[in-house]
Amino acid sequence: MGADPNVDLSSLAAPVSSAVDKFPLLPAFLKVRGLVKQHIDSFDYFINHGIKKIMKANDRIVCRHDPSLYLRYTNIYVDRPSTTADTIQELLTPHSCRLSDRTYAANILVDVEYTFGQRAVKGQKKGEQNEGPPTLQMRRRVVIGRMPIMLRSSHCVLSGKDEAELAKFGECPLDPGGYFVVKGTERVILIQEQLSKNRIIIDTDSKGRVTASVTSSTHETKSKTVFFMEKGKIYLQLNQFTKPIPILVVMKAMGMESDQEIVQMLGRDPRYGSLLLPSIEECASERIYTQQQALSYLEGKLTSFNSSKAGGKKEGMAKTILLDVFLANVPVIQGNFRPKCIYASVMLRRMMDAILNTDTFDDKDYVGNKRLELSGQLISLLFEDLFKSMNSFAAELLNKAYENPSRNSQLYQGQPSQILKQDMITNGLEKAISTGNWDLKRFKMHRKGVSQVVSRLSFIAALGHMTRISPQFEKTRKVSGPRALQPSQWGMLCPCDTPEGEACGLTKNLALMTHVTTDDEEGPLISLCYSLGVEDLALLSGEELHAPNSFLVILNGLILGKHRQPQRFAGALRKLRRLGKIGEFVSVFVNDRQRCVYVASDGGRVCRPLVIADKGISRIKEHHIQELRAGVRNFDDFLHEGLIEYLDVNEENNALIALYEGDIDMDDADNEKDANKNNITHIEIEPFTILGVCAGLIPFPHHNQSPRNTYQCAMGKQAMGNIGYNQLSRADTLLYLLVYPQRPLLTTKTIELVGFDKLGAGQNATVAVMSYSGYDIEDAIVMNKSSLDRGFGRCIAMKKYSAVNEIYSNNTSDKIVRPEMDVAARKSNMQILDNDGIAAPGEIVRNHDVLVNKYSPRNTRDHLPSGSRNDYRPSNAIYKGPEGETTVIDRVLLSSDTNGRLCIKFIVRHTRRPELGDKFSSRHGQKGVCGTIVQQEDFPFTERGICPDLIMNPHGYPSRMTVGKMIELLGSKAGVSCGRFHYGSAFGEPSGHADKVEDISYTLVKHGFSYSGKDFLYSGITGYPLQAYIFMGPIYYQKLKHMVLDKMHARARGPRVTLTRQPTEGRSRDGGLRLGEMERDCLIAYGASMMIFERLMLSSDPYQVQVCIKCGLLGYYNYKLKTAFCSMCKNGDNVSTMKLPYACKLLFQELQSMNVVPRLKLTEA
Amino acid sequence: MEGVSYQRLPKIMIREMKDDYLKFNLTDTDASMANALRRVMIAEVPTIAIDLVEIEVNSSVLNDEFISHRLGLIPLTSDLAMGMRFSRDCDSCDGDGQCEFCSVEFHLNVRCDSDQTLDVTSADLRSTDPNVVPVDVAARALSSDPSSFDSDQRGIIIVKLRRGQELRLRAIARKGIGKDHAKWSPAATVTFMYEPDIQIKEDLMETLTLEEKRNWVESSPTKVFDIDPITQQVMVVDSEAYTYDEEVIKKAEAMGKPGLVEIYAKEDSFIFTVESTGAIKASQLVINAIDVLRQKLDAVRMQDAEADFKEFTDHMQGGG
Repeated sequence: MGADPNVDLSSLAAPVSSAVDKFPLLPAFLKVRGLVKQHIDSFDYFINHGIKKIMKANDRIVCRHDPSLYLRYTNIYVDRPSTTADTIQELLTPHSCRLSDRTYAANILVDVEYTFGQRAVKGQKKGEQNEGPPTLQMRRRVVIGRMPIMLRSSHCVLSGKDEAELAKFGECPLDPGGYFVVKGTERVILIQEQLSKNRIIIDTDSKGRVTASVTSSTHETKSKTVFFMEKGKIYLQLNQFTKPIPILVVMKAMGMESDQEIVQMLGRDPRYGSLLLPSIEECASERIYTQQQALSYLEGKLTSFNSSKAGGKKEGMAKTILLDVFLANVPVIQGNFRPKCIYASVMLRRMMDAILNTDTFDDKDYVGNKRLELSGQLISLLFEDLFKSMNSFAAELLNKAYENPSRNSQLYQGQPSQILKQDMITNGLEKAISTGNWDLKRFKMHRKGVSQVVSRLSFIAALGHMTRISPQFEKTRKVSGPRALQPSQWGMLCPCDTPEGEACGLTKNLALMTHVTTDDEEGPLISLCYSLGVEDLALLSGEELHAPNSFLVILNGLILGKHRQPQRFAGALRKLRRLGKIGEFVSVFVNDRQRCVYVASDGGRVCRPLVIADKGISRIKEHHIQELRAGVRNFDDFLHEGLIEYLDVNEENNALIALYEGDIDMDDADNEKDANKNNITHIEIEPFTILGVCAGLIPFPHHNQSPRNTYQCAMGKQAMGNIGYNQLSRADTLLYLLVYPQRPLLTTKTIELVGFDKLGAGQNATVAVMSYSGYDIEDAIVMNKSSLDRGFGRCIAMKKYSAVNEIYSNNTSDKIVRPEMDVAARKSNMQILDNDGIAAPGEIVRNHDVLVNKYSPRNTRDHLPSGSRNDYRPSNAIYKGPEGETTVIDRVLLSSDTNGRLCIKFIVRHTRRPELGDKFSSRHGQKGVCGTIVQQEDFPFTERGICPDLIMNPHGYPSRMTVGKMIELLGSKAGVSCGRFHYGSAFGEPSGHADKVEDISYTLVKHGFSYSGKDFLYSGITGYPLQAYIFMGPIYYQKLKHMVLDKMHARARGPRVTLTRQPTEGRSRDGGLRLGEMERDCLIAYGASMMIFERLMLSSDPYQVQVCIKCGLLGYYNYKLKTAFCSMCKNGDNVSTMKLPYACKLLFQELQSMNVVPRLKLTEA
Repeated sequence: MEGVSYQRLPKIMIREMKDDYLKFNLTDTDASMANALRRVMIAEVPTIAIDLVEIEVNSSVLNDEFISHRLGLIPLTSDLAMGMRFSRDCDSCDGDGQCEFCSVEFHLNVRCDSDQTLDVTSADLRSTDPNVVPVDVAARALSSDPSSFDSDQRGIIIVKLRRGQELRLRAIARKGIGKDHAKWSPAATVTFMYEPDIQIKEDLMETLTLEEKRNWVESSPTKVFDIDPITQQVMVVDSEAYTYDEEVIKKAEAMGKPGLVEIYAKEDSFIFTVESTGAIKASQLVINAIDVLRQKLDAVRMQDAEADFKEFTDHMQGGG
């Protein structure tokens, strides 16, 4: 290569600028978006736009008898969250709702115009002549119901508030929002994963047939159209038809009468023609040549349901089905079937492509073929259903009033609020969100568990809950495909964070930078596409459709036309997007194999931001980052200036994404490098963003065996720590807090980004990796008693107990009485009561203590004169807790619930120090229980006087391969010795977000430690040095919620079940410990028959029965006559007494009740 | 082995002594003695610490147990502890633990009335006995320059109060030992190490170049060796800095010079480092520990020798 005179030599001579540190983008990104932006965006979209669309689609309530009587909505909007108490409207705050069991909701207001009114009614009276058209009346701000408001959404009082203002509202500034408060409980609507709608999916079904299916979903209809090939012939399957329909018949029914046209539409390649030939022959053999014949053939195949709906007449029915149901996503304008024909032919062509070349099948698990349904969409469906129900109910009322004007005349007082029933929407929304059951008959949707109570076990648990994606399949399916890690989920869904067990791989979590799109307007995009040179479908012949040099342009599953220069078209669209002329989330994807350009603007696609690069050179320069740091630039500026853009999963396929800018020019040989570099279109912002929130807490996860990271993701959600800044003013049913939580010595960037460093869930324990005392086998850990004395692992468990002051139908109510002061009462369980009859905060409460000294009326039905003392019986609220445990009443909250009853809530607190069997875990999926607690003087020590807090057995390492934990230990040790928090972000070594082991070792040596992190220890018991150097240093340990105190259980004698008289089951019922089948087998094998007899009968449910030897049935003992008697034989001659398990006797009687006679045959023993 | 006497008389040589820090050599004894001393210092030298808290008013953000725990961990000057009674065997108060012989009462009464956050510290604790006070308070009283503490060292923080919050309590401090709870442990750090005996093979060392020597010297994470700037000889500057990490030995082997240095631990010589929490002076801590140790041994001797030793000899004969 000679010197090119055009090259600016000075630029070449300049030193290669080092890669720009793009990390500052991340905090900027999260500042703009927050961690749960997808929820909030989706909800905002619904509240601000979606709700209006629904209203417009259903804006009229018309009287059936007189169309001039109607009500029309002109506008709909949602107010700020407020409540009306005694006609005073006051602003609601989320925290007040949590405490008082209310719903954080806002009024939905409509503007209406209506014609039904008094005057109009008069005009409608029978016999009278109409006095003219009813007058149009208007009314603004009519309340039609209450909409639960998502926290931190645009309508929430918290939006745009700073830390001080949030504190005033009793809210934690680190709380992400994105959930609802319904009846006092926080509920998230989980992200729902679904197969994308309105897209052609080529697949094989269970019978191995090649199918092409489209799930159409429009506002009007939802349908599924399936083409499949059986024995070489292609058929259509649609629910409305009883049998599969030959595809040629369908095409002919749509007016494509000529076979040649059909074949032409598929393409001129003879292979397509020959594949279609059997279908053509079949059609011909049915003697179907014209549209009319085809339609009548279809009418013969209609299901009875459809024909009955049409009232017996089938004519035209087939046509309407083809128009409305078949490929319902393709709009039909003025009965023009051509778009549908083209769509069908494209489906056929793709199907045939798949048959000819198997790798063109679509992958259902491919993330690009999936859509995430967010709370906005789900609530939108719910609202649409309820709104329609309300409207039809209103129309019904209107009709009734018309039919019977005298009785319902008040309806005509001109009050739209009288026909618009508020509670329908209010209750419907509240019920669905609070139960999680989406039962929408109108949309054939029956889903359970859509919403869940926000897990508040730890801050991370709550965050992780917001990013969770609930699966589309039921968990029981034993398939591996959907559970496998998809390459396409790179950067979008966390590869680590998934539960173990049945939902493994199905329940997923969003990665740190993922965004889920909301719907974008299609109209402007369509016209833009046409002006960018897309040739309209209507102007093309079938032959031209698949012309070799053209690509089809498909917008949201709708074929717009074709374009001859697809790359140029895609480039132009992308340029417009970067300029901000079209939505930033519009994706353009050129599929070379399918010869299509897919443009998508629909909601539910996952996408993520990437830095745009020109020929491998990042558009973000150092000065941009400096401006960002200086605060004159934010993330949106980067977006608007075309430095960063969002790519969805499909468009990523058109991009070549480099991990680091610097990487690009160090690669391989010269020419190859140039080729690579020129092709690079994007650069990752930070590689650790492929992980989610939970996995982001793990230091050095890239050094761990992958399942360990997955285990930690599950365990991080059980770790105790701080819930939020407002944790002590909350009233959760169960709350575990750590007394002295710390931030990890070895942090990651994610930890700082999500705020885990401010709300930690664990403590930095000095860990010695060694064997000690034998009480550390099988992952048990040995703990230092002095550390526990000083507060390590100490936690507070808070529990809520509530009592309600009931109001009865006869206007009587419970009353709370001041406890009697005499000595007897003092001695009993009333000691902790205050003068108001309610237990006082700060009192130590024991089992069976009275919390509320309450009396209930004996008669709750009849109206009585004000009752005397005798009319009431004591109905104390009694504390039930473990015996011997001293708990303290932390707070007492008095509030009135929705029914106006007084509700008393007690928060009971218990401080626990770690004990034998409590569960602890590091951040590397290494859980273990406390095996023993050892005095400090017995613990090993170094000559510096360092004594570990806990000892972990080294056998935990080899099989788990958690190298990250070792590096964490090293890094933390270096951190404490040099006084700087060390970092361990995933894949962070090249970019400096993780400290290298080499540097850490250097720091260690500088501070007088061994580079390997090992120390010379002396035994605390003997004073002799230990035989080996001990790997020792701080590791962040989490205390998990599983504590012995909550689980330990034993019983000697105790309660029994009334039905079987056997001991009850379960700890909560003080149940017995079951001697199960397998244990029984052991005893049988051993031959301990008397032991079995004792365990299975004597200690369980022995029962004495009278058995008649003659008839073998059970008799009874007559206590008056003091004889046994057989009621079958009518005498007591042959009755003998024996013992049976009561359950056995019960079985006999139950069998007898079913006409089965069990007879006992007794022999003399 | 007859005739050889293992009887040795342990010696102590004090190297460095401050109020809360003591470094001494213990020689002519073995690990059992050294370790016994260490263990007693950590766990069995009595001190006084707050043990019982009666809370009258607590409107602070921390709950009662939390504050009680924090109060307990405040070290109190415990020079009287050796002479005090354990409340469990105090005759004058029937084990109530509330009499002057076995307890000291503290009062705390703080209320925040300003807009600024008020730190409740150990300085706010009012003791009924001037001899038993939080250690930082005592230190301040002794210090000649009281102003130096004012701004940044206000004492051990118990809790922070905002406007309107109040903390009022009565606390009883009792004598106890570290074995029962770490709050009674007077020792912050008690540790010992074997005194290393480092011998450099001079002739072998001379075969190294200066560069190699420097490398070798730097291979030790702690500064044990140095090179004499004049003679360019490697010398031991601080043998006690050696942490038995064997880095230098490994380095010598890696350099192909095994035996360059020989390091042994002297088995009868210990370097003790004692740091006290301030409850008692470090020097007193050692003396108290020896006292406690002696009392324990006395207790063995004072026992009814006949009865116990019969059992003991029986046991030995039966078992042997």
